[in-house]
Amino acid sequence: MIIELREFTRVEGNGKAEIVIEDGEVKDVRLKIIEGPRFFELLTLGRHYYDVPDLEARICAICYLSHSVASVLGIERAFGVEVPEEIALIRELGLIGELLESHALHLYLLVAPDVFGYPDAIRMATKHGELVKEGLALKGFGNRIRVMVGGREIHGINVKPGGFGRYPTVEELERVETESEALLRLARRAVRLFTQLDPYGAQAKHFVATDGYLWGEKLVSDEEGEFHYTERIEERSLVYSFAKQSRYKGEAFFVGALPRLLLKSEMLTPRAKRLFEEHRGKLETGYVSYNNLAQAIELVYSLERANEIAKTLLDRGIEGENIPVEPREGEGIGYVEAPRGVLIHHYRIDGSGNIAYSNIITPTALNHAMMEASLLEEARKLYGEADERAMIGRLEETVRAFDPCISCSVHLVKL
Amino acid sequence: MMDKLKLGVFELTDCGGCALNMLFLYEKLFDLLEFYEITEFHMATSLSEGNHYDVALVTGTVSTQRDLNLLKEARNHSEYLIALGTCATHGSVQASVELPIREKLKAVYGDDGNPMRALDSKPVVEYVAVDFALPGCPYDKNEVYQVLMDIAKGIEPVRKDYPVCLECKLNEYECVLVKKGLPCLGPITYGGCNAVCVRSGLGCIGCRGPLPGEVNPAGEYEILKELSYDDEYIVRKFKTFARWEP
Ligand code: SF4
Ligand code: SF4
Repeated sequence: MIIELREFTRVEGNGKAEIVIEDGEVKDVRLKIIEGPRFFELLTLGRHYYDVPDLEARICAICYLSHSVASVLGIERAFGVEVPEEIALIRELGLIGELLESHALHLYLLVAPDVFGYPDAIRMATKHGELVKEGLALKGFGNRIRVMVGGREIHGINVKPGGFGRYPTVEELERVETESEALLRLARRAVRLFTQLDPYGAQAKHFVATDGYLWGEKLVSDEEGEFHYTERIEERSLVYSFAKQSRYKGEAFFVGALPRLLLKSEMLTPRAKRLFEEHRGKLETGYVSYNNLAQAIELVYSLERANEIAKTLLDRGIEGENIPVEPREGEGIGYVEAPRGVLIHHYRIDGSGNIAYSNIITPTALNHAMMEASLLEEARKLYGEADERAMIGRLEETVRAFDPCISCSVHLVKL
Repeated sequence: MMDKLKLGVFELTDCGGCALNMLFLYEKLFDLLEFYEITEFHMATSLSEGNHYDVALVTGTVSTQRDLNLLKEARNHSEYLIALGTCATHGSVQASVELPIREKLKAVYGDDGNPMRALDSKPVVEYVAVDFALPGCPYDKNEVYQVLMDIAKGIEPVRKDYPVCLECKLNEYECVLVKKGLPCLGPITYGGCNAVCVRSGLGCIGCRGPLPGEVNPAGEYEILKELSYDDEYIVRKFKTFARWEP
């Protein structure tokens, strides 16, 4: 017998799951990504590098800047271009805006209704209007940073190889400084709220993240030092899904907020670090549901870090100079932490600056096996115990804990 | 009080941006909710209770059999259907990948193929009649707000009829095509974004699709040729968001 779950709601993109029951037991779970393919790697082949980050942004609206930045990093590495601190800091600020926007959307509008027992945030707002407003305030702030750095709320084209079209102004940075300070109180309240979540889903055995907090030169895992994704991560096609599945040394692994905290807690800002220490015991169990708590702690991190970056840039002043980019034949990988985990853009570029090979692996694809393992675990626990509706509800929550971004998981190509 | 209009948001294959943009309306979304009740919007709510919609917003391209079924359902059960965003109106980026679908699938998934039914990505407007088309990748959120408000008040929404260029002039942005020689598609692109990319000193990449009616892609083509961009580059640029023929 197969139990078909209807399409997931309150997640980005279109996906569903099937639970396979044999002899009265849960035998298997299949996570089906039914969003159609969009062929981004084919789209970028043969294109001039300069136009590519703007196209790659269209992979996903929720984390378009992560895609632009990962794309730009891959291109710059292929050309051997290094950008100065100013440009790196502004990019980081953009990624922080995206983290705030995305985590606030996810926690307040998509997960909080589960905590309070509502089908959505709009209906939850009648009783918990304050909370919804707080979420929107954080999200709005994140989006203003995205406009400042990325050029638009969604799919801006301001992030370019070698720099930006337009640089933030002093007034804009001052606003970031004051607003980030003012919003910290709300973020700390979010941490208290999301500590209430039960442990559910599987306990992850392997965690993977980039070596810097929001981007890196390489990846790191819980058991070994730096590596390139090609050395340890394998992708394979599935017959039932438009997204491929990745494995780390053959096993399911976890990317996202929880893995970031566990692998990189020493890079956290002071208050975020204290919160991490306070909840360390819980987080270290590795239950995927604690990813939501980790996201709440990252709201605190993001606000503190945005404040630091704004201060630093204001102190040193903005020069607003782009680095000249000369195309040459080369290969480069951009690793970024999108809000929901490691994002990889890998290019080979020819001598005239056109893309000759591209491979993109998104966090949802990296987490695909972990999501299936978590669904399997929950379904085994609940099948026969809870009624079917309660079971399906919990399974949806389990998927939601990953904050999957389904539409971005279907663009993978091997050539 | 008058009954609220039933609003459905349907997402086909896309980046999620056009659905997400609705949530970015913030307080304005609550203003809309004075007139509308959302009965289908799967990114935002677990409720799905509609079998009739006064207004259906459809985002994304038809890229699978599922998309096509969903689109037909939305069309059959709605009074007023809006193709929302460049995916739905012109196909956007995914429709510009020109290989036949079998070859594309093979390139991506290898020889094992993929048993799920993928179709060549096409805009919504190629499959069903729509009552209004609002392009933009993503569309300008104030524009969708205005359109929905107009409909709620019984006014037929108006389409804009000027290119991005005009918005540069109004904002007094320096022309990047003339001054910097950037390949800006502003002169032939449907205005309404307030020339936001030119604000960053960058050329318009044409994400809102062509201005219907009097645009002159041939003229734009000549300008870009004179700036010494090669044919293939220009043609690709023209084809990226909408299938422009120079
Ligand atoms: S038109 Fe652009 S923003 Fe809208 S769904 Fe399509 S790709 Fe995303
Ligand atoms: S300026 Fe052009 S590319 Fe930018 S938002 Fe407007 S139409 Fe789209």
